Amino acid sequence: MNAIGLRWPLDPQSRIPYWAYTDSGIYKQELTRIWYGAHWLYCGLEAELPEIGSYRTLILGERPVIMVRRSAEEITVVENRCAHHGTKICWDRAGTVQDLTCPYHNWSYDLDGTLLGVPFRRGVSGQGGMPKDFDPKDFSLRRLKVEVANGVIWASFSDETPSFRDYLGSTMWRYYERIFSGRRLRVIGYNRQRIDGNWKLMLENNKDPYHAALLHVFFATFGLYRPDQKNALEMDETGRHACLTAVMAKGGANQVTGALRGFDETIKLQDSRLIEAVKELKGEETVGASTIFPSVILLQQVNSLQARQIVPRGTGQFDFVWTHFGYEDDDEEMRGRRVRHANLFGPSGYVSADDAEVIRMVQKGMSPAPDAAEAVTLMGGREIEKASNMATEAAIRGMYRYYREVMNL
Amino acid sequence: MNAVGGAGQLEAVIAFYANYTEVLDDERLQEWPNFFTDDCIYQIIPRENYDNHLQLCTVQADGKNMLLDRVQGILRTQRFGPRRCRRFYSGLKISRIEGNVIDVRQNVLVVQTLTDEPSKILLCGASYDQLESNGELLLRQRIVVSDTDTIDNALIFPV
Repeated sequence: MNAIGLRWPLDPQSRIPYWAYTDSGIYKQELTRIWYGAHWLYCGLEAELPEIGSYRTLILGERPVIMVRRSAEEITVVENRCAHHGTKICWDRAGTVQDLTCPYHNWSYDLDGTLLGVPFRRGVSGQGGMPKDFDPKDFSLRRLKVEVANGVIWASFSDETPSFRDYLGSTMWRYYERIFSGRRLRVIGYNRQRIDGNWKLMLENNKDPYHAALLHVFFATFGLYRPDQKNALEMDETGRHACLTAVMAKGGANQVTGALRGFDETIKLQDSRLIEAVKELKGEETVGASTIFPSVILLQQVNSLQARQIVPRGTGQFDFVWTHFGYEDDDEEMRGRRVRHANLFGPSGYVSADDAEVIRMVQKGMSPAPDAAEAVTLMGGREIEKASNMATEAAIRGMYRYYREVMNL
Repeated sequence: MNAVGGAGQLEAVIAFYANYTEVLDDERLQEWPNFFTDDCIYQIIPRENYDNHLQLCTVQADGKNMLLDRVQGILRTQRFGPRRCRRFYSGLKISRIEGNVIDVRQNVLVVQTLTDEPSKILLCGASYDQLESNGELLLRQRIVVSDTDTIDNALIFPV
């Protein structure tokens, strides 16, 4: 039993109580212990901040922040909240600034969040102003711990977060490097959606190879991700991160597709450029989905590369921010391919729209909690080990083992 | 070629969009690609990308075949909760006529009604189209720029 009087089920490895997705007390603890705890949160790509003073605003957990390039080498992330009266300082999504100045009373800050100036600090004609003991040093913007890893910007609200590479672990780092090899990145654009489900459901979705060919008829039909393929599921030592990979096979019917209700051999594409990919990454894998707990999914499928950021909004809703990218030296054909392949993803994705819809329906189904009902994660047994088949929920079990530990449940 | 620009032209364009709206609102999706030329461009793009010259769209089709694929995807491969969508186009303006090509700009509003939910605005934006007039009117370009950049769950049906 924990502080809010809820008890995790007795078979902890194979059950998730529905209240973990619906209870507001649990959600508050998640913000404190997970989102504002010793975890790295995805902020964006270095390529999004090309010059000194380039900034972008975003939300980490529920807190608005600004990431800004302070020098050629340094990126800072500060809370987007004036130390004077709490006003959001930057209102635009992106831009370039000399300093950070609050529109309300023009308090201005250096690009690292240090308070530079307070108008009329010494009053007007000797009247008013700040007291003599007012020390600007006490009124800086809250500055987050930042690390840039192979072109990706990460921030943490906690000083105890280990280095990003240690946070990922060596298994996950290998997959991370597959996409972020140090080759310079280029942003292709953004898609945003607000999904009516608990934020953890999206991580689970991307740790769950079991659903992929059953829910996604598109994947099964065109052989993009199917149980008859060579595939792998790996995790870091804690179980919180995971990566799913597979090697694309020919489409068409066989013994395995017989078990896929939605599979239909008569479905053909009129224009196969939609999924025609060119090999560009090392290794034989044609798809890789890395879930970096708790904030982002890094995904490569065909020639589409994306960072999918999760922004929690209470127990039953999150924003899903998609940054599609490629490499700076992509030729025009590759740029066209990446944009065409993006049709599989995002709010209208041939595949991703299914996930948004099914997550909405999961949340609706769970909403009567708290009651005795719980999710079953027995596929592949109770173990939390790497697998080379898709009939497994090991990575979901891994995440919840870590979750219970950090949440003290 | 000057069937374009004649007195009946505006009426023909208005009638074209009335048919387009009817086909989509009545979910006669198979008929939707017939409004386009074979080498059409169709895009639904968030304003954030459009204004910053970023190529990424929410939906992009290069050619009528990709529209046919989109229809097949919606009808035969995608899974989504029951809904109705209605499109409200307004402020139609023929902004340019050159040869047999008519540029049309309109406001776009899509209202979605999910089962057991009140109706909601799904997408608000503007469309920048090019119609080709060869006896009949066909879209050779339709770019829907969406001001709504956070989509409520999923955008399933065409706009």
